[in-house]
Amino acid sequence: MSIQQQYRSRAKELLQDGSVKMVIGYGEGTTATRRRPIFITNPDDTDRLVLDAACKTNLAGYLLREGLLADQKSVAIFLSPSGVRTINILASESQLSSAQVVVLGFQIQGDTVKALEGTKASDFSPLIAKRKEKRKAQPSHEMTRKLEQMTPAERFAFWEGEFSRCIKCYACRAACPMCWCRRCVVDNNQPQWVNTSSHTLGNLEWNLVRAFHLAGRCVECGNCSEACPVNIPLHLLNRRMTEEVLTAFDHYPGADEHQEPVLASFRKDDPETFIL
Amino acid sequence: MSEPFEPKIVAFVCTYCTYAGADLAGTSRLKYPPNVRIVRLPCTGRISPMFILKAFQKGADGVLVSGCHPGDCHFDHGNYHARRRWTAFNALLHFTGVPEERVKFSWISAAEGIKFAELIDSITEEIRQAGPFEQYHKLIAETGSVASV
Amino acid sequence: MTKILYSDDLTACFSAWRKEGTKVLGPVQQAKTSGFGEVQDAKELDLDLVLTDRTLKELFFPRTEPMLSYSIGKQQIDTSEFLPSEHPCIIFGARPCDAAGMAIDDELFNWDYRDEYWFRRRDRSVIMTIACKESDDFCMCTSLGLAPDSAKGSDILLRPLTSGKGWQVEELTPKGSKALLPIASLLKEGTEEAAPTAEVPVLFDLEACTTWLANPENFESHFWKEISERCIGCGTCTYLCPTCHCFDIQDEGDTYEGIRRKNWDSCSFQLFTMHTSGHNPRNTQSARWRQRIMHKFNYFSDKFSVHSCTGCGRCTRECPVDMGVRETLQAISTLPK
Repeated sequence: MSIQQQYRSRAKELLQDGSVKMVIGYGEGTTATRRRPIFITNPDDTDRLVLDAACKTNLAGYLLREGLLADQKSVAIFLSPSGVRTINILASESQLSSAQVVVLGFQIQGDTVKALEGTKASDFSPLIAKRKEKRKAQPSHEMTRKLEQMTPAERFAFWEGEFSRCIKCYACRAACPMCWCRRCVVDNNQPQWVNTSSHTLGNLEWNLVRAFHLAGRCVECGNCSEACPVNIPLHLLNRRMTEEVLTAFDHYPGADEHQEPVLASFRKDDPETFIL
Repeated sequence: MSEPFEPKIVAFVCTYCTYAGADLAGTSRLKYPPNVRIVRLPCTGRISPMFILKAFQKGADGVLVSGCHPGDCHFDHGNYHARRRWTAFNALLHFTGVPEERVKFSWISAAEGIKFAELIDSITEEIRQAGPFEQYHKLIAETGSVASV
Repeated sequence: MTKILYSDDLTACFSAWRKEGTKVLGPVQQAKTSGFGEVQDAKELDLDLVLTDRTLKELFFPRTEPMLSYSIGKQQIDTSEFLPSEHPCIIFGARPCDAAGMAIDDELFNWDYRDEYWFRRRDRSVIMTIACKESDDFCMCTSLGLAPDSAKGSDILLRPLTSGKGWQVEELTPKGSKALLPIASLLKEGTEEAAPTAEVPVLFDLEACTTWLANPENFESHFWKEISERCIGCGTCTYLCPTCHCFDIQDEGDTYEGIRRKNWDSCSFQLFTMHTSGHNPRNTQSARWRQRIMHKFNYFSDKFSVHSCTGCGRCTRECPVDMGVRETLQAISTLPK
């Protein structure tokens, strides 16, 4: 039985026996290579579910839809390991209760999809712990290394060029499951800390704020970069932040749901080489 | 002849330590450059990175953020939280090309009037050498111009 | 016999126009995304694109522009107004759907008052459109009553030659004819045939859709929630739409000085309709998606007798969750009226 078939039957069983009220998964898209998020509540509709290497979007953000989890009922959702880490972070930030989330775990490896054992987010903690070690050993992105070798003025010019294209559609924010604030700080106008206009200055400010607010929270799922209609390499900023919290504080976002948020906790012996 | 360049520096300081340190520098009649505008806050834990961005948006050439030494926070651990935040934000600024000399972080206690005066002296000189933050000022200037096409 | 412009003469045309003091813009690749930019040489153009990522509207309605600045001194208050330049320009290589969009937007910007920011830029520009030889999976101009060689909104229409070496030139407006004067010697008379235009399938019955939308009973239909359940509320579809035109006026600055700006805004955003009181009349994403569709195919059409959509397909092409006008109208056209 193919993994897709296997997950369809599992989704069907979950809906039939009433253990979940909805399955959030992937369905066919406008073209043969596109996938789109779908929401299944009828067991007979589970045949619409698709699972293949094109299922890249992190769906976890949909769990925060207003009222969805308010009735204490469970929802099943297709999640890759970064999706499971998202659930852990959202739980640690009190945005949802992981007990209400039934994980249909999978992992994309090249062109194939592998099933992952487990149903609760915590079942994946050993797997995530392994990924932490892998992430530590992973070299920085090639472009990041290039940037680090530039002079500050050259780096500034690079980002100025990238940010000059930003149209402030805020798709990066909307696509990010971590951007759950009811009112984003840049939409506050008393005080208005950063410019809301999409001139390069306002774009630089917005992108710095976004990257900073995701420091130690980003699971590198890639939703933001995928969503950006003008292809700004947002992932470079996020990855740089991930590397910073990993080396400075040994923090790997979303390790488990009891993990303390990195910027809301501290150790007395945290490094401080740059402080005069 | 044009005036020699005098940098504008904004210092965000906590009221219990660095502000008191600045006060001590004053009452001790220590001399330090008048380039620094001090913004006093209750604790370094209250200093959001947004403040730093705002200072640059308003044309600052440099920013100093300073508070109590670790262990000395009036609120026990505000500066420990601040330290983590600065670590991430400092890395981000560095990565996006804001030169190191333009954003400084320090611990200055109420007893360190001399350290305060000397630090202001050295960062002012460093930024004076580096010149105005032209790259940022260019972005500010662009907000007041109509796109050519 | 028709007038023919050969690709080899294009750079010479650009120089001739520039000599007259006219800027030349066209579809270009700009760091991993395509849009319209100023060009000196024909080599800079990317004419193989089915459609640029960003639309033509940015040239007339930039995503942000200053309107006025103010500064308050001890004795006086100074204000100054910004207006776009009237520097003439030629836009070479627009697509028919984008050009048609500009004509639709003209209606809106000249409705309750004449928007100087829009029309100054419109009046100074000549749009030279190239008919489409190719389309992609998202193109749907034919479903909207347009075609890959629609002339709407263009000053000059160019039809690609079968040989691929140039275009037949069709003058559509006096402004267009005038723009051809400096390059008259570069246009050749010829009989070479134009290549067939792209075959764009009709995807839905527009008539059936508008009838359904016009029925007040359908306003509260469950359909809206179902079709937009996955919408994440980003503004990509509106910002990349040639006919979406909403904007917001923002004051950037403080008590003493600042700039008033006109910025793009989007009905997809929750804040778009948020009242100061906290009440939001369009409080769900489905209500916001319904607004977008209703505005394009009902309210706008009622007012201006034209739909505010040209079928460029960018909304679907660029949507992070694979939604768009296409899916919605396809679904509506199968619903009982």
